[in-house]
Amino acid sequence: MHKEHLLPACQYIHGERKARLFTMVGNDERQINGSFSLYYVFAIDEIHFFVTIKIALSQVDPTFPSLAAYIPALDWYEREVNDLLGLRAIGHPNRVPLILHGDSLGIHPLCKDYVETGLLPQTSDMTDTVEYMGEDVTQIPVGPIHAGIIEPGHFRFGAVGDTILHLDAKLFYTHRGIEKTLEGKTVQEARFLIERICCVCNVSHSASFAQAVESAAGIEISQRAKFLRCLYLELERLYNHVGDVGNICSGYGFAVGSSQGARLKEQLLQLNERLTGHRYLRGTIVPGGVNCDLDEAELVLLMESINEIDVDFQEFVDILLGHEIAMDRMETTGKLSLQQVDDFEAVGIAARASGRDVDCRRDFPYAAYEQLDFAVVLQTEGDVLARIKVRIVEAFNSMLLIRQILSRLPKGASQTDIPLIEPYTSSLGWSESARGENTHWIMFDKNNTIYRYRIRSAAYSNWPVVPLAVEGNIIPDFPLINKSFELCYACCDR
Amino acid sequence: MIEKIVYMVCQVLLVLFVAPLVEGIIKKVKARLQNRIGADLVQPYRDLFKYLRKDAVLAKEASWLTRTTPYLVFAVVLGSVSLLPMAALYSPLTFTGDIILLVYLFAVVRFFLAITALDSGSAFGGMGSSREMIMSAICEAALLLAVIAVLMQVGTTNLGVIVESLLTGGRDLFNYAYWLSFVAFLLVVIVETGRIPYDNPDTHLELTMIHEAMLLEYSGRYWGLLHWALLVKQILVFTLFIDLFIPWGIAKEFTGLAIFEGSIFYLLKVILLGILLAVIETLYAKMRLFKVPKLLVVSMALSVLAIVLQIAV
Repeated sequence: MHKEHLLPACQYIHGERKARLFTMVGNDERQINGSFSLYYVFAIDEIHFFVTIKIALSQVDPTFPSLAAYIPALDWYEREVNDLLGLRAIGHPNRVPLILHGDSLGIHPLCKDYVETGLLPQTSDMTDTVEYMGEDVTQIPVGPIHAGIIEPGHFRFGAVGDTILHLDAKLFYTHRGIEKTLEGKTVQEARFLIERICCVCNVSHSASFAQAVESAAGIEISQRAKFLRCLYLELERLYNHVGDVGNICSGYGFAVGSSQGARLKEQLLQLNERLTGHRYLRGTIVPGGVNCDLDEAELVLLMESINEIDVDFQEFVDILLGHEIAMDRMETTGKLSLQQVDDFEAVGIAARASGRDVDCRRDFPYAAYEQLDFAVVLQTEGDVLARIKVRIVEAFNSMLLIRQILSRLPKGASQTDIPLIEPYTSSLGWSESARGENTHWIMFDKNNTIYRYRIRSAAYSNWPVVPLAVEGNIIPDFPLINKSFELCYACCDR
Repeated sequence: MIEKIVYMVCQVLLVLFVAPLVEGIIKKVKARLQNRIGADLVQPYRDLFKYLRKDAVLAKEASWLTRTTPYLVFAVVLGSVSLLPMAALYSPLTFTGDIILLVYLFAVVRFFLAITALDSGSAFGGMGSSREMIMSAICEAALLLAVIAVLMQVGTTNLGVIVESLLTGGRDLFNYAYWLSFVAFLLVVIVETGRIPYDNPDTHLELTMIHEAMLLEYSGRYWGLLHWALLVKQILVFTLFIDLFIPWGIAKEFTGLAIFEGSIFYLLKVILLGILLAVIETLYAKMRLFKVPKLLVVSMALSVLAIVLQIAV
């Protein structure tokens, strides 16, 4: 499509057909067809279809019309292709660099002709923060290095007294260039890097990767592998949700809650280790199936442990939701409206707690989810309490799903071979992690190597709504609100 | 005279060296109540020892205030220790001041901590001192009201006499005023020691801190000294509570044996109060910042009630 038609086309699909933005990929295809390409992938939940709009940009004029004013979710994507590929969005409301902080150096690492020269030169990065007018507004800079052991992110509050007027979040401090490193790697080599995008979402990322590879190769994996994939994905969701519910308690110093959450999470991690040999389930999902099959004894152990944790978690939840101060701290704190999550195309817990009905396990079923029964949990308040409630119910649902899988696990092989993939095929893989859907877009080169890899994680979609949830709250509530989203920084810092 | 000076030195030393132990006990009790094993009872001593041996890192912008405040706070707190009756009815510096002086010595500590927090220009320090000053404006009133509620029952500001009044029946234990002011003062103790539900002493979340945010800029031996002073201040607040409400077991005569017995009772009471606070901390979570004044208002209301009842009777 010509880039002039981009705006009406996107407006039609996004506005009229109610499609949601799934991902947007910028690609340097000058070696193939002499131009840069942009792929806008929209998902239409109702009819379970994807629509991809592709525009080509010539090397002499690498610009395209910005749609961020119409589809606010495109804000980050458009800034990212500017930083990494040098493709400029004309008319973008906020041209501050997203990934490469500081002044633009004219270095665009994702271009194919980029030569790695070690560390990039340091530039002053204080110019890209918001300045506040007026005497009463205090700037409170926090981070990027924090007191707790968490990932780096710089938060700049504009506050009047203790009330937050505006929050400017600057992330991407540990951009690792995983997407660039993946180029030229074979599917087998890529698997290890994919698992290391993010530790607590690694099963979901490998599932997205595996599914993208399988769909490009046009193969169907065995039934047993499909069920086992669901099992590992649900185990990952379970330990995340249980741990996150406990973690939220430390946001208001409810020590009993945080200790119990940590204890239950540890039990689940130890269970993971006994089942698969890795506490965070690394190495379980591979393209073509699963790498780790379970025998009868392990299935019995899993069933028993889940029953035990079910009881303990129920007790923990009863204590938490019956605690007066805890409830008071969570209610009405960090409210997000449906309009806000819709505009920014939020996914996962953040979206469902505000009433946005998305869950790609149901909307675009993968693995064995089509054959399993589960409900999508929705809340409408959009506050911290709604997000914790969604987590709690989803954790119980995960336990139900695990029981279903255990009772219906079919016999058979767990791996299928990957044939040679046609060069320059592109494909999509997606899966619902504990934080929302992780979408991977791959274009293959010759000999099953990767030409371009784009990872759009749940955190990437959800970070832009965090500052919106914070506005109007008080500064001491920020850690609590941030914890209620529990987004990874690593998932963004690909 | 000599034995009184020896006693004073002993009292100060006792409090100085017991303060970390009490903190250790509180932490241990909290850990056990949360199904955790927790650190050793002596961990606070190890921490202090470690801090005191380390060199301090100061901000470039820090002035003499930052360097002076730890010593000043430490000195003021030690001075306050000798104002209070602990093991015996006799307190060494009792001729210099009374309970009102003590309230304002706490205010001196707070003033210097708050102004020093602004010194290095860090955002957290400013945030912490602004919160602390707002809270202290209410807290000081609550503390004074609670003290006055007790004073009204006795009729003097001399601590020795107040303590004696409960022992000799000058103050009735089965009086509404006693229990109302008891609860009112307990709330003040929680606030003065910076514990849940007012503040969270164990958090690493800078943005939620009230008291700790003022101390974030300190490190090494300065932090060690300040930390120690604040542990002693915690004991002081406990002692004030014990003196006003549970003085039983205190030595009435100034003899070696009586003072020894008195010290044992005193330590037991401090530890029991610490355990009570640990239980309260485990049961509750931190309140919303702007609801904290309500806690203090409750305390004030109780004190006022106690005063009114006292006058009416």
